[in-house]
Amino acid sequence: MENNLEGSGERKLQCSDVSKCFQLLESILDGANIPDSQEILKSKLAKCQPCFEHFHLEQAIKEVLKNKCTKHEVPSELVANIRQKIEEIK
Amino acid sequence: MSEVQRKKYTEQEKNRIFDEEFMPHIDSMYNFGYRLTFDEDDAKDLVQDTYLKAYRFINSFEQGTNAKAWLFRILKNSFINDYRKKSKQPAKVDYQEVETYYNSEDVDYKMTSDLRVDSLKDMLGDEISNALNSLAVDFRTVIILCDLEGFTYEEMAKILDIPIGTVRSRLHRARNLLKDKLRSYAQNMGYKTDEEE
Ligand SMILES: [Zn+2]
Repeated sequence: MENNLEGSGERKLQCSDVSKCFQLLESILDGANIPDSQEILKSKLAKCQPCFEHFHLEQAIKEVLKNKCTKHEVPSELVANIRQKIEEIK
Repeated sequence: MSEVQRKKYTEQEKNRIFDEEFMPHIDSMYNFGYRLTFDEDDAKDLVQDTYLKAYRFINSFEQGTNAKAWLFRILKNSFINDYRKKSKQPAKVDYQEVETYYNSEDVDYKMTSDLRVDSLKDMLGDEISNALNSLAVDFRTVIILCDLEGFTYEEMAKILDIPIGTVRSRLHRARNLLKDKLRSYAQNMGYKTDEEE
């Protein structure tokens, strides 16, 4: 994130269209194929405090989900069981 | 045409597709199964079932398309059609509610959260996992697919057999519910929330 996005001096405190903005921000965060998404994101975050806060919170949640959610190890016999069953139906 | 489709792959090709395109997803498949059922044996059954079906119906898999999404769709259907029916757990009281009310695409987007990014980052994996696990299965599912597994909205729409607009709105609702859970964890565990300032 670039430094000029961090200073909040210029941002408006009310978002003009929360529904539209947040939906767009979430789509961008989720990797939807939106033309010029990086430019749109940059300008929204620079101009609007609610958008800025929403984006960073959603981004943080996405990151903790991805990185911290406990992963369950695949039981060692599962692959062998599957292969055995496949041999039986071949 | 269906005859041609049916005979599409040779034994050798089938084995190659199965080994190289299907089996590498077993970790994700097992985790998905586990997060749907919360039970190791049920998760194993679901995954095994899924792979057997995948092998049986391998001719309907198009090479070059997303094998992981194809497998997830089979697992999710097995979960709904087989697991939910035989399990004594009522198909979750919330399910009906989710299907009727929550499928609406009108979502209220608003500033909701006094949850802080800092306190989120302090949380442990178990807390995050528990919050996710506490959500109704349809909400849990969209978060698993999107945030844990990185599927696109288009892929999720195909896996879940719902329109993209519904994917988006359900995901938004799921995240709001998750934020509520995380916020109450944060408060209970003494992490900072804005309310305390
Ligand atoms: Zn805004």
